[in-house]
Amino acid sequence: MAGTKTPTRPAPPETPTEAPSDQPIPARPAPRAKEAPRTMRELRESREGKSAKRPSKARPADNVLREGLRLERVPDPSILTLFGATGDLAHRKVIPAVYHLWRTNLLPHEFVLLALGRRPYDDESFRTEVHKALEQYSRVLPLDEAAWRSFSHRIRYQRLDFDDPKGFDTLAKRLDELDQAEGTRGNRLYYLATQPSQFAEIVGELGRVGLDHERHDGGWRRIVIEKPFGHDLDSAKRLNREVGKVFRESQVYRIDHYLGKETVRNLLVFRFGNGIFEPLWNRRYVDHVQITVAESIGIENRGAFYEETGAVRDVLQNHLLQLVSLVAMEPPATFEADALRDEKVKVLRAIGTHPADPLDDVVRGQYSAGWVSGEQVKAYRAEDEVDPKSETETFVAARLNIDDWRWSGVPFYVRTGKRLPKRATEIAIQFRAVPHHLFKHTTASEPDANLLAIRIQPDEGIMLRFGAKVPGLGLDVRSVTMDFTYGSSFNVDTPDAYETLILDGLQGDASLFTRADEVEEAWSLVDPFIDAWANGPAPDFPNYDAGTWGPPEADELVAREGRRWRRI
Amino acid sequence: MATDVIALNQPVLRWAARARTIPDIEKELSRIWARQDLTTEVEGETGRHIAARTNVMNLVVIARRPEIAERGAATIQALTGLHPSRTIVVQPADPDGPSWLDARIEAHCVMPVADAPETCAETIHLIAGGESGRHLVALVTPLIIHDLPVTIWWPGEPPFATKATNELFSACDRLVVDGSTWSGDGLARLAEMATCAETTGIAVSDFAMMRQSRWREAIASIFDDPDYLPYLRYVRRISVTYGTHDDAGSPGSTNIVKPVYHVAWLASRLGMHVVKPLAEATSPAKAVKPKPGSASPMHRGMTASLADGRSEVAVVIRPIHSDMPSGTTLRVELLCDRRGSELRADVTAEAETVHVRVWIDGVEALDRHFLAARRGDVDLLAESIEAVDRDRVSYGTLQMAAKLTGAHPHGHRST
Repeated sequence: MAGTKTPTRPAPPETPTEAPSDQPIPARPAPRAKEAPRTMRELRESREGKSAKRPSKARPADNVLREGLRLERVPDPSILTLFGATGDLAHRKVIPAVYHLWRTNLLPHEFVLLALGRRPYDDESFRTEVHKALEQYSRVLPLDEAAWRSFSHRIRYQRLDFDDPKGFDTLAKRLDELDQAEGTRGNRLYYLATQPSQFAEIVGELGRVGLDHERHDGGWRRIVIEKPFGHDLDSAKRLNREVGKVFRESQVYRIDHYLGKETVRNLLVFRFGNGIFEPLWNRRYVDHVQITVAESIGIENRGAFYEETGAVRDVLQNHLLQLVSLVAMEPPATFEADALRDEKVKVLRAIGTHPADPLDDVVRGQYSAGWVSGEQVKAYRAEDEVDPKSETETFVAARLNIDDWRWSGVPFYVRTGKRLPKRATEIAIQFRAVPHHLFKHTTASEPDANLLAIRIQPDEGIMLRFGAKVPGLGLDVRSVTMDFTYGSSFNVDTPDAYETLILDGLQGDASLFTRADEVEEAWSLVDPFIDAWANGPAPDFPNYDAGTWGPPEADELVAREGRRWRRI
Repeated sequence: MATDVIALNQPVLRWAARARTIPDIEKELSRIWARQDLTTEVEGETGRHIAARTNVMNLVVIARRPEIAERGAATIQALTGLHPSRTIVVQPADPDGPSWLDARIEAHCVMPVADAPETCAETIHLIAGGESGRHLVALVTPLIIHDLPVTIWWPGEPPFATKATNELFSACDRLVVDGSTWSGDGLARLAEMATCAETTGIAVSDFAMMRQSRWREAIASIFDDPDYLPYLRYVRRISVTYGTHDDAGSPGSTNIVKPVYHVAWLASRLGMHVVKPLAEATSPAKAVKPKPGSASPMHRGMTASLADGRSEVAVVIRPIHSDMPSGTTLRVELLCDRRGSELRADVTAEAETVHVRVWIDGVEALDRHFLAARRGDVDLLAESIEAVDRDRVSYGTLQMAAKLTGAHPHGHRST
């Protein structure tokens, strides 16, 4: 039968997995078609094991040996090429995360961290610098010196001016040499931990020297881009275009570290892995949703950065809207990157058009001097590198409507700010009160409506509030809580969000990264506020004291509908 | 009453009592948590003790010897913060004497994170003499918390074939054993365990199988590569080399449960069936050098034959001298022949790494090291506890291992 065709029979199932369609199919004997069941009866009998024929040779699309392995899959051999390796983000977050992945054996043995920066280090002096950074920022101290020794051998440093084209030629050569010497097989994750203004330039140079090209023998190329991704809709679109000229969307990983946090990931498990909550997760049972991202710290010597950013660009456009979309999204068909991101984008698109005045549902604020955590702190306008007449908002609260079948009429109140009384990030699902107050004659006060609070930081966990009878002869009802905290329920080493996301990037799992259309939708939601503020009168700043929960207008935003912010 | 200042993750004994009957044990258990005066010292001041009594499961430990009971209890206490359980350590004693019970009931607490409530769980150390110790299910059943899963950890060699054992297993959800510690080659007991798992429905976690997960990870990784994946259905030979301390490496002298699991895992995952079960190798094979100073050459090991629907798959399990613990897997080799193209894989392990090498038609195509630390009893027990239901991979591996030994579906090995 060799070489004969059997046009009336379907191709055997193994064919697609053996030879990808974009590669020549080697000469091979034609399949023995008689083995495949043809009629419905044959198919049924073969499934029931009654057929005298040998079972179908249908081959699984996946590696069957993978099933049931409890260990994390170790990424392919690869080089993590870190742009901006001498910067603050790299030292505080990225390098410690890579070290912990190495320490916990989650990186391949054939792994190289190629650090790129302007400063004149060599491999050895940069390792010394990294060791210092780890001693300061590693989440597990003291350092595991044995792990450090082996990790340090995987670190290389290359001096590179990002605006020097020759430097990228040298980089390409160095990467090829490392592939040869270290067995990293052409797999590269480029991580841009640089100033946002350098993103487009670096991407362009990577494209010019061909470092974006994925090799025919399987070497993959991916790029991780830190936030902020643009500073408004136009700039985000421009940057997406520039990145898109070089990398395919499937190669681009826009990082929002909030999505790597354990509780945020658990939100998906909580919603879609438990049968009892999803039926309640809609307008029939939910009164409103509150999402708070509160910071007690100020701007931490980043005055120049914050002046150009503000609370909307820094937190609302990314972290807060990501949390809104995770809370409000429909269940994805599969737990795969695009299915998940499709549902998130639908939520952003469903967030209602703004009222006649886009500022009706938004409140901004800026802190004055005050007291936080027992310490006196200065006003925003008195911070270094901040304009004494600055109009930059350090607080924003907004009321969002999600105009879809599930959430129509359920307001989502979101707020974020600097110099608030405490550091806390929380999603609160406030359920509707019971329709009839059965115990109003027997209890001093009606119990509060049920509440589900999902704490993201600190003390990651979930709390459910419900009414219970106070023990005794009467029928007094009081609110009690059931509390689940990660720390006490799972006494395990929780990975930092960056560890999760870097590992995902190395494994090619984009589920927790933001897609181009998500970024643009999010900007299109906040741009009208920003424009209206820019075109309107100067704000009456400062309008809240450091150490308080923002300006009184934020309370009024929820109070006008008979609600109040949850006390955190 | 202990009033210790509690350190993070360090179990502290908070309460202890003794009892001599099952009803008395139950009374003591309810008394522990009814006490209002549990106190603890915080920075030298005595304050109200805040303890969350938390039980997520029942853990039964069958310890035939006191030292095993002690070791088991210590392992479990290390898991209190992670998997707070009602633990019942049963130690049968003096089987021919009169029936008696002696129970020590303890509450241990840990503080998993600073400022959090302590997490507390109770342990019942039960010594059962005479006839009582033979009716394990009668001892255990009244003490387990209903509606919570029951895991039974049986260090040593469980008598799988007895009625009492099967009754106990029928009342439990998961059995935890270490097949690599069994006497002889361990295969007869392995076959009995497979039968027991099938008849009682209990899920099995065998440390011997779990310790090999780093090998399985490494072997599986070869076929993550789409270029190599098609070879997976054309395995023609599986060879496992294990270490022995026996001069001749005679069959039966060394526990080979771990090497057999390697073969069984591959065979079950790849849908193979046993054509000829394991038997002493008799065919001429490459001579194995005798150990220096030893007169006898090393035994050729055992062979078996599998089939995957296309053709036969040769299996060789052979010993070599090694300083590693007896029965430790030293090498797994696979030979795949796909339409004239040959993939040869060689997997070896050292202390912290697993080394994978692959050749395609004689040309080296892959050379990878995996960092993978060996795991201790605490890690393995934690993993066993986390596995809620019977997973089909380990069940399939166990059943295939039994078939490899030549066991009939309901029990005994063919000879």
